[in-house]
Amino acid sequence: MYIIGENIHIISEKVKEALANRDAEFFMDLAVRQVEAGAKAIDINLGPRKKDYAEVFPWIVQALESVVDVPLCIDTTNVEAMEAALQKITKAQPILNSTSAEPERLEKIPLLAKKYGAKMIALTMGSSGIPVEADARVEIAVGTIIPHLMEIDFPMENLIIDPLVLTTSGCQQYCPQLIEAVRMLKYAWDPPPMVSVGLSNVSNAVPTENRPLINRVYLAMLMGVGLEMMIANPFDQKQNEVIRWIESRDTSTPLARVYNKIAERIQEGEEPQPEDFDMNDPEQLAIWKTTQILLNKVIYADAYLTN
Amino acid sequence: MPIEIPKEKWTGKVRVVTLGATAAEGGTRTRVVTVGGQACMPFLHFEHPTPHPPVLAIEIKSRPPTDWSPILMETWGEAIRNPATWAAAAEAAGAEMFVLWLTLEDTPEEATQAVRAVLGASGLPLAVFGPGQAEKDNELLVAVAEAAKGERLLLGICEDKNYRTIVATALANGHLVSARSPMDVNLAKQLNILITDMGLPADRIIMDPTTGALGYGIEYGYSVMERLRLSALQGDSMTQFPMLVTVGFEAWKTKEAKVGEGVPASWGDWQQRAIDWEIGTAMTLIEAGADILVLRHPESVKRVKAAITELMTA
Repeated sequence: MYIIGENIHIISEKVKEALANRDAEFFMDLAVRQVEAGAKAIDINLGPRKKDYAEVFPWIVQALESVVDVPLCIDTTNVEAMEAALQKITKAQPILNSTSAEPERLEKIPLLAKKYGAKMIALTMGSSGIPVEADARVEIAVGTIIPHLMEIDFPMENLIIDPLVLTTSGCQQYCPQLIEAVRMLKYAWDPPPMVSVGLSNVSNAVPTENRPLINRVYLAMLMGVGLEMMIANPFDQKQNEVIRWIESRDTSTPLARVYNKIAERIQEGEEPQPEDFDMNDPEQLAIWKTTQILLNKVIYADAYLTN
Repeated sequence: MPIEIPKEKWTGKVRVVTLGATAAEGGTRTRVVTVGGQACMPFLHFEHPTPHPPVLAIEIKSRPPTDWSPILMETWGEAIRNPATWAAAAEAAGAEMFVLWLTLEDTPEEATQAVRAVLGASGLPLAVFGPGQAEKDNELLVAVAEAAKGERLLLGICEDKNYRTIVATALANGHLVSARSPMDVNLAKQLNILITDMGLPADRIIMDPTTGALGYGIEYGYSVMERLRLSALQGDSMTQFPMLVTVGFEAWKTKEAKVGEGVPASWGDWQQRAIDWEIGTAMTLIEAGADILVLRHPESVKRVKAAITELMTA
């Protein structure tokens, strides 16, 4: 699993404060620790910084490149800020995060990525928002994004498609559709495009204590349909354990068996079944309940584990 | 050629809930109302019989309303002056139960008096709703619940802001709660879990998923109710509750019902249109799975009741 570490994100109060103080040490430390925890790239989401992007983006790039060698993922809606960062990057091939199928973004961002030889994440979202159905999302990739990239002679190996994870709390019907979108995207092109997702979006608006479990179970399902890249928290040890279990087909413990079984069921186009779980084990029961909300079988409620 | 009608096989069913208690059960009601028990989507009798048809409640207020349509004011006439005469008129108009809606001006004593007056005027089951401000609702409903101990009143509005107080008083005094959530399946289920976690038996909960009037968001309300009901039939115990909808409240605030002048002539007769709006709203929500419909106009009650009778025998 190629993890793009998500922890440099302006939504975090600590990040906000460190940025205000131009505390380079803070960001360098956070980047190093993410790489040590297994991140293969580092996402930088500091917002659009409309007023001071020309100073902030080169500054952060320089700080991070002084301590890590991995690709930096420039995560902003501000196209000028993207370019300010690209101009400063000297080490690994960067990733632009992101374009969508909205005409204005699709016109500018791929050209920028091409000019600097960057990889680029493309969201399967058009001007009218994010479609629910898997095939409508795949259609945005195959019908709009890819043809446009071919027109401008964009190197396809640099394209990463993100079919957009939405939260089980309020957008539950999107959750199973996203799994199918990932599955279909793997057949959408030859060679198959890289597919990446923002995993923790699946638990947005969910009480903090429930988020890691929902993320892990969804991860197992997505690995079942071949997900190999994601923006996620590399410090989540239990998540990393699930990745290791599934990648190495380690079924030496009951929990490892359960997560492998979930991935296997989804891979086969099946649903997890009650007999896959030892319902007397509270941990497995919680995983079973989580599969049911993620597949939109049971309506999500914040207290779904208690009922 | 014989045609085989496909049938859904559901694993779950809606809980049966009874409102009102007779003398034998510790109350003073001469009639009770029972809703729920469905094991299929509405009126699919070929899949499963409908054990309890939808029930029609008439909304009355603790004091004469100041913002109601003149059409309603004229229809109820003098009866509106106090809750007891209004209740008697509503029963004569075909109500199977009442929703007594309290107001912000009421003191706990006045609220209690109004409840006693309605209970004295009719033997039908009663729901008592606060004005919809959490703190005021708590103040009024606790007093009412204690004064009418054992009557199996339906207490509302019980929402995430105040459910603890309302559920506690329902538990202590033998009443039911009407659990209201803002047109959202996740929040509806969450509130039901929180209420049952407090120890209120599940057969003392009605859910109010909130709805809109015809032309004013009813499709959202419909989808939420349909989803909750499908989930109940699929076996999710925390959605297996009968549903109440405040049809009159929604329908009579629409422009079509409220405005008699300055509208296109093609809108037709005002009174007819206003009543049709309430009926159209009610019938739509009945198909979405509504179990208790709270109406305002006697003509709506009459015609919706006739439609339910037809649906039950169709």
